[in-house]
Parts: sequence; C-alpha cells; structure tokens
Amino acid sequence: MTRRALSRITLLAVLLIMASVPLSASQFMVQPFDQVARDSRFIVRGQVVDTYSAWDEAREVIFTYATIRVQRYFGETTGPDTLVVREVGGTVDGYTQEAVGFPAIRRGEQVVLFLSNWEDSTDLRIHAYNQGKFLVKHRGNLEVVVEDPVKQGEERLASPNGGRFHVEGNAEGVALTIDELATMIEDARAGNPTRFSREMH
Amino acid sequence: MNRKSIISLAFATIFVIAAAEPALAYVLLSPRRRWSTTPITVRVYTTGNSTITDGSGGVNATVSAIRAWGIISSSTTTSAAVRGSAPATIMLNTNGGVCTGSCLAATLTGYYTTQTGDDRIYDADVYTNTAVQMYSSGESGCSSEYDINGIMVHEVGHVIGIGHSNVSGATMYPSISACNTSARTLASDDIAARDDLY
Repeated sequence: MTRRALSRITLLAVLLIMASVPLSASQFMVQPFDQVARDSRFIVRGQVVDTYSAWDEAREVIFTYATIRVQRYFGETTGPDTLVVREVGGTVDGYTQEAVGFPAIRRGEQVVLFLSNWEDSTDLRIHAYNQGKFLVKHRGNLEVVVEDPVKQGEERLASPNGGRFHVEGNAEGVALTIDELATMIEDARAGNPTRFSREMH
Repeated sequence: MNRKSIISLAFATIFVIAAAEPALAYVLLSPRRRWSTTPITVRVYTTGNSTITDGSGGVNATVSAIRAWGIISSSTTTSAAVRGSAPATIMLNTNGGVCTGSCLAATLTGYYTTQTGDDRIYDADVYTNTAVQMYSSGESGCSSEYDINGIMVHEVGHVIGIGHSNVSGATMYPSISACNTSARTLASDDIAARDDLY
C-alpha cells in the first residue's frame, strides 16, 4: 500500500466519521454518501453567478433562485451549461425569511452541488440539504471540496449593496480533492461499492 | 517511516479528530434578533402527526414540552400557520413544502433588518416531515423513532432566536439519535443562550 493510498484512506475515513452522526444539522437525518450520490439527478461543479429572491405565488415562502455556471458534470450525467437552483430562504423588500440550518447559496461561490427536483415541480434544489453542498477551495495546486460551514441563520456579514454575503467560519477543515470526490461519485452512481465503503465497512 | 507507523499515525489522527470537542458554546442566530416581548406566544396546530399514537398526534406533548424554555406561552390552535405573521405556529401534520427527504423538522423564521442592530423576529413557524416515524412522551417504548418532544424544544430554540450549540448534551446541539430524549431538558448552555437574548 502506497503512502498516497494511505493518505486517501485517512481522508475518506475522516469523512465517514464526520458523516456517521445519526441525525445532524438542525433536524436532518444524515444519509450515506453513496445514497446521496445515487439519488441526485445532477452533480455539478460550478460557480454561483447570480441570485435573486422572490415570494412564492401564495406569498408564504421566499425562495432564492441561484444561477449556476456549470464547469463539470460528475458521474454519467450531463446537462446544460447553466442551471437554476431554487432554495428556501431569502430577502425581499427588507424582510428576510430563513430556514434555520438549511444550506445557503451565495453569489460568487465556487461549489459542488448535488441536485434533485422538488417534489412538486421540475425546479432543481440541493439534494439532502447540507449533504448536497460543498465549497470548492484551492490548496496549492489542488482544488478541494469542504463542507460549507455557514448555513442559514448562522454567522455572516451582509455587504453594503445587499444580497451578497461574506462567509465567516472555518472552511479549512477536512477536505477531499475534486478527483477523489469524482471517483467516489462514479463508484456510487455505477452501483459499485465505493472505496469509501470498502475500506471502512 | 514504515507502513505500520503510517497506518498507526493515520488511525491516531482519525480518533483525535473524532474525539475533539469543539470549544465554542451556544450560538445566536445571526444577525442577532429576538421577539419584542415575552412570554413568546407559540401555538400548536390541533391536527397532529399521524405517526404519533398518544391520542393527540403529539399536539399535547408538544404544547407541554416547549414550555421548558420558560418564556413560552403555548396552547393549541385551529388556525394553520400563516407565514410572515405571528404567532409562531408549530405544524405537526405537514412539511410545509420545505421539509422532505432527510429533513425531520424545519423552522422558517422571518425578520426585518434594522440599522440599529436591534432586530425583531416577526414570525417563525415550524414544519414536520410527516414521512418520518415520531413518538412522544405520551407513548411507551420507542423503536427507531424520533422524539417529538425533544425535536420541538430544539425547534422552538430557533423560534426564539438561538442557533446551534457545540456543547454536547445541549438541546441546541445539532445532532440527536432515534429514541434519544435528552433534548427535552435544557442544559446550562441553552439557558445561557436564552438569558443572553431575553
């Protein structure tokens, strides 16, 4: 076994431990990674190039619509260069509605998103809540993915022009490289045991 | 370094990370905000959760449980939640169109941002994933179900303006397992958060 392989196993093991909490975030059940990957319609790496928020027709829920410029589709799926993702929460005319603990989506972010359809429409949403959103960071020459440390209702600072947020918090924790994540996704969506599962279960 | 040493080091790293207890305590929702007066009125919609077999679908248990915060005036209501309008309403019988899949319960909270930093909460409603098996203090036994009492005490923490705590054992700690009732009882960390706001 090479040192590189051991390093990879270590990272995956840490990710497994982090994901093994039976119920996490505000009130979410944590799902196995391969299930999240399998059940997602699209898994993309891209940039949030625009967001806007609006009430629904019944004026009960504020949704934020995020335009994602897709740079890469993971797994066997492919799709358009641009996707629009609809998420609960946002600000309209100074009134902010938040779903506490739900994933937030902010203009300018580099992200990997696991996406599925809303139950009542063909609109896309982040699949499995916070398990379906990662931030892309650079560490040296590598692109790595980390969990977004800032969910709705958590620490953030609004910019003077509104609508854009400066993320506070530690995003430098345990990370996988994009290629490692891609391999895990491909394994999961192909119905094969992931290396993640093979090593630790 | 030989292979055995590398493996040992790898597992030691894993266990250190897994065992590390975060140093942070309670967290208030950001921006900091609160209701303008106390006690805070919270209503529980009279149609309960069909998976709870205590006779009221968890409604009565929830009305009692959320009083743990000490600043809540709770009762039942026949009026469904109206988002954007007080009072805070707990819906045990619907996911509100937002809490599905791996979501157990969701709090939608609304506020206006002021220039003074003294933001007020105008509304907060709680929705429940009705596809998940729940149980209440009015039932005996538990089999892979989630405790509605503890879940709603946690959610009402969000209703009054509290975020997640990193203190293990606190009601506002962001994880709980099936059949675990510990969230029903406030920890000193939860009380400190409440007293910070009110």
